[in-house]
Amino acid sequence: MAFLCFPALADLHGDGEYKLVVGDLGPSGQHPRLKVLKGPTVLTESPLPALPAAAATFLMEQHEPRTPALALASGPCVYVYKNLKPYFKFTLPQLPPNPLEQDLWNQVKEDRIDPLTLKEMLEGIREKAEVPLSVQSLRFLQLELSEMEAFVSQHKSKSIKRQTVITTMTTLKKNLADEDAVSCLVLGTENKELLVLDPEAFTILAKMSLPSVPVFLEVSGQFDVEFRLAAACRNGNIYILRRDSKRPKYCIELSAQPVGLVRVHKVLVVGSNQDTLHGFTHKGKKLWTVQMPAAILTMNLLEQRSRSLQAVMAGLANGEVHIYHDKALLNVIRTPDVVTSLCFGRYGREDNTLIMTTRGGGLIIKILKRTAVFVEARGEAGPPPAQAMKLNVPRKTRLYVDQTLREREAGTAMHRTFQTDLYLLRLRAARAYVQALESSLNPVSVTAREPLKLHAVVQGLGPTFKLTLHLQNTSTARPILGLLVCFLYNEVLYALPRAFFKVPLLVPGLNYPLETFVESLSDKGISDIIKVLVLREGQSAPLLSAHINMPVSEGLEAT
Amino acid sequence: MAEERLATRTQFPASAESQKPRLKKAQEFPILEKQNWLIHLHYIRKDYEACKAVIKEQLQETQGLCEYAIYVQALIFRLEGNIQESLELFQTCAVLSPQCADNLKQVARSLFLLGKHKAAIEVYNEAAKLNQKDWEICHNLGVCYIYLKQFDKAHDQLHNALHLNRHDLTYIMLGKIHLLQGDLDKAIEIYKKAVEFSPENTELLTTLGLLYLQLGIYQKAFEHLGNALTYDPTNYKAILAAGSMMQTHGDFDVALTKYRVVACAVPESPPLWNNIGMCFFGKKKYVAAISCLKRANYLAPFDWKILYNLGLVHLTMQQYASAFHFVSAAINLQPKMGELFMLLAVALTNLEDPENARRAYAEAARLDRCNPLVNLNYAVLLYNQGERKGALAQFQEMEKKIRLLKDSPSLEFDAEVCLFISAQEARWPRSWELPCRSGRRWSGRNQLKTPSQSTGALQPAKLPVCSSPWALTRLWDRPCRRQLRTGNSHQVPEQQPSPPSRRLCPWSQSPPQEHSQLKHQPRSEKHRSRTAPGQGSSGGDVAG
Repeated sequence: MAFLCFPALADLHGDGEYKLVVGDLGPSGQHPRLKVLKGPTVLTESPLPALPAAAATFLMEQHEPRTPALALASGPCVYVYKNLKPYFKFTLPQLPPNPLEQDLWNQVKEDRIDPLTLKEMLEGIREKAEVPLSVQSLRFLQLELSEMEAFVSQHKSKSIKRQTVITTMTTLKKNLADEDAVSCLVLGTENKELLVLDPEAFTILAKMSLPSVPVFLEVSGQFDVEFRLAAACRNGNIYILRRDSKRPKYCIELSAQPVGLVRVHKVLVVGSNQDTLHGFTHKGKKLWTVQMPAAILTMNLLEQRSRSLQAVMAGLANGEVHIYHDKALLNVIRTPDVVTSLCFGRYGREDNTLIMTTRGGGLIIKILKRTAVFVEARGEAGPPPAQAMKLNVPRKTRLYVDQTLREREAGTAMHRTFQTDLYLLRLRAARAYVQALESSLNPVSVTAREPLKLHAVVQGLGPTFKLTLHLQNTSTARPILGLLVCFLYNEVLYALPRAFFKVPLLVPGLNYPLETFVESLSDKGISDIIKVLVLREGQSAPLLSAHINMPVSEGLEAT
Repeated sequence: MAEERLATRTQFPASAESQKPRLKKAQEFPILEKQNWLIHLHYIRKDYEACKAVIKEQLQETQGLCEYAIYVQALIFRLEGNIQESLELFQTCAVLSPQCADNLKQVARSLFLLGKHKAAIEVYNEAAKLNQKDWEICHNLGVCYIYLKQFDKAHDQLHNALHLNRHDLTYIMLGKIHLLQGDLDKAIEIYKKAVEFSPENTELLTTLGLLYLQLGIYQKAFEHLGNALTYDPTNYKAILAAGSMMQTHGDFDVALTKYRVVACAVPESPPLWNNIGMCFFGKKKYVAAISCLKRANYLAPFDWKILYNLGLVHLTMQQYASAFHFVSAAINLQPKMGELFMLLAVALTNLEDPENARRAYAEAARLDRCNPLVNLNYAVLLYNQGERKGALAQFQEMEKKIRLLKDSPSLEFDAEVCLFISAQEARWPRSWELPCRSGRRWSGRNQLKTPSQSTGALQPAKLPVCSSPWALTRLWDRPCRRQLRTGNSHQVPEQQPSPPSRRLCPWSQSPPQEHSQLKHQPRSEKHRSRTAPGQGSSGGDVAG
């Protein structure tokens, strides 16, 4: 998948002709390249060591010609290009290792402790973890007992290292507010710090720490005078820092992940991954919220200097780019593919150009008409379009109307008929039920003394069938003794070895399968019902009964 | 590198064992966090496939040590609904860096989603030890306590959360606690504060509006619902509630226009079709009303309010037999409502079954507390049957209720009933010779409004129907009484499984649907709106 990122516009050669710089992950993601475009054509292409996390163009020094440098942040390094040639590589300083951990490895080096003790001690350090462990120690902790020895002997001579990486980068004017003033680089790192770099000497001018890892940065002001720094972090919060603060001064809790951070005049516009755009003051007070029709993928600032307009562009997952001025929607651009990054500025010799890269790896360049004026669409607050749709009321048929009329005429008679029939139905049902109870025709007996359940299964094709009766005592505690089973059947059609037998003691809850064979005597392919009665010794009325519909004997036809 | 290799060689005499490691040693350990930014970028852009690909690559490279990759993988699992897997991965994260409150929070969140609230509380408490000032921990602890029904603790935790940082969600949960405890006033206080804090949150506005509605403070309710609709003109709950208020005021056309929006958004909502049906009823388009109500009934067969309305509309349509079935079905679901029995009685009266009508009225009068129409209609029936004493008693009862109603001016239908009653009075002497026209009883007459033309419409004259001599049909007596008794059907000493089914309500034994309080709200409001026409017409039916 091609993946274009961080488009940046800059007058890279100092000839007044603005070029577009784009990082390209390449088709397989393995060979990232840096592409410089002039108009719609690629001017130069150079390989990159890794996909950069961020890019920025900035002026490094005061000398003429004032050609901006290009900085790419990748891993722990910032690569600075001048005139598109590698110029300088800045690497983040190593983090101090945990002194205890260092001490342990030193002891190992001198063979004073064995790997097992080392493991225990390292785990102890990890539990407390004021300073995280180095990769070497972490890897060691993962090892099996057998591998430890080799690992230790291999690595013990190495000094332990802790290196962090850059997650985001932006620029901050050094001491002048001019457009072509010298700028510092501001870096956000994985160990939750912000660094400000001197543009000439590449030394760290200031270091600030955050409670979480920064993802997006937004800076205003000048480093030497006063500046405000907003950092959107991975914990869903946005921290606002000022020149003199080493720690965040204000905090905005989004309770969602920020997907973009743009400052418009004094308002911080934040896009969240819950499809909303929020406006905040620089002190973190919420001003407004706008709901987006789809997820926001990227955001950037649109600045039309000739009309001193600043607006926010948001690329959405439904393939649209929405342009907002505060809460008001100014314009919607529909694109053939989902836009993943946006950039607005001078390109070539055209002042207002919009650069969009798409998910599929496409690049869309749009030029704003010089006469164009963005107007806030005020009239869109009318009723939603759904209000104009007609209600889908179910239609009634002619028949329904006729029936209604009939009911009006003869409502009383209908009601009476219905009630009679209902009454008769109930009577009949009750009678049938009572009859069933009286003659114990049901397969479940619910009498207090003998709660029983019976069901029967017939197996076989005939002429001999196997009839299995499953008898279950459903009482909770009391066993049942002295039951009899009796089969009633047409002796012309069927023969059973025993038509009457005793049932063993029934333990509560267990299922007793009682098997017997049934032989079909008829050769005419007819079947009949066999009645099973469960009786109590000394009583003529059955406790329960079942009617078994015997299947037609198929074996007979084969013989 | 070469020097290092040399160093190892000096330490270890060249042996077969040390040869292999030396080769491996050339590679440095990769930086674990190298791709974290890319993982995060894909994650927030919801490009989960790409995200997973990067995570997989990164985990392979670091042999599963990259904590953030595991963390995001777990988040994605959770979004995909594989909560158990996500829990396991979060626990791995917690092992990799035990001092990180975030990992513990996520473990607890997964436990919470799995319904293990107690375990979640334990983990949250542990996380709270690592990070004292996190509103999220407090908030989620509060939510867990709500599920465990420990409202006091939940209350404390949510207040802590609000103290640390104010969030709409915390307000909503806090309001919910008060609603669960049945404390409407406190809930309103909370929601008021919430709306002050975030005036554009439509959910808060709608809820507050509905609460006001429930308390009968219509002005404020309408204000908040209107605000909610300004910010989100397609808010389904707010439209339904506002529409039902419009219905109460007779703005049926406006309400219908508003309902169109809802019909587009939630075409299968029973309350919506119920309200639309009652709009048509108000506009006297009865066939449309019936078809809409029947759709509502199809969508929610156990909602007695819809059945009530169906019964009402059928009564108006003079389809008394159908009305009887709908009302009796409603009674099976809601056996504690006097008005339902009154409707049943009206239907029975018209089905020429005065015996059962009387029983139904008696039940209605027993259950009802404040609706004078019940007693009025009962009185009319008794009078028509020639029981003047009973009729007189009922009439006095009605007067008592009216006096009560007049004393509490908050109730809206007051005026309407007064009109109705006064209209009754006006025709009373004309139509019937009631021996109770003493001045004392009518002392309130001067305060009552005089009947106007418009009130005449409330009661279509159906004198002939009621005053016709009853044909006594004892045959129908029993089934109907049973119907009436369904409210306490368990008292009927029947051991047999009941015969197949009764009328059209095979579900008579099932309990009425439970709505959560908030959900219930719009419906009950609707109900109010529909009773208004109901009182007019049903009263009219019998009164005549």
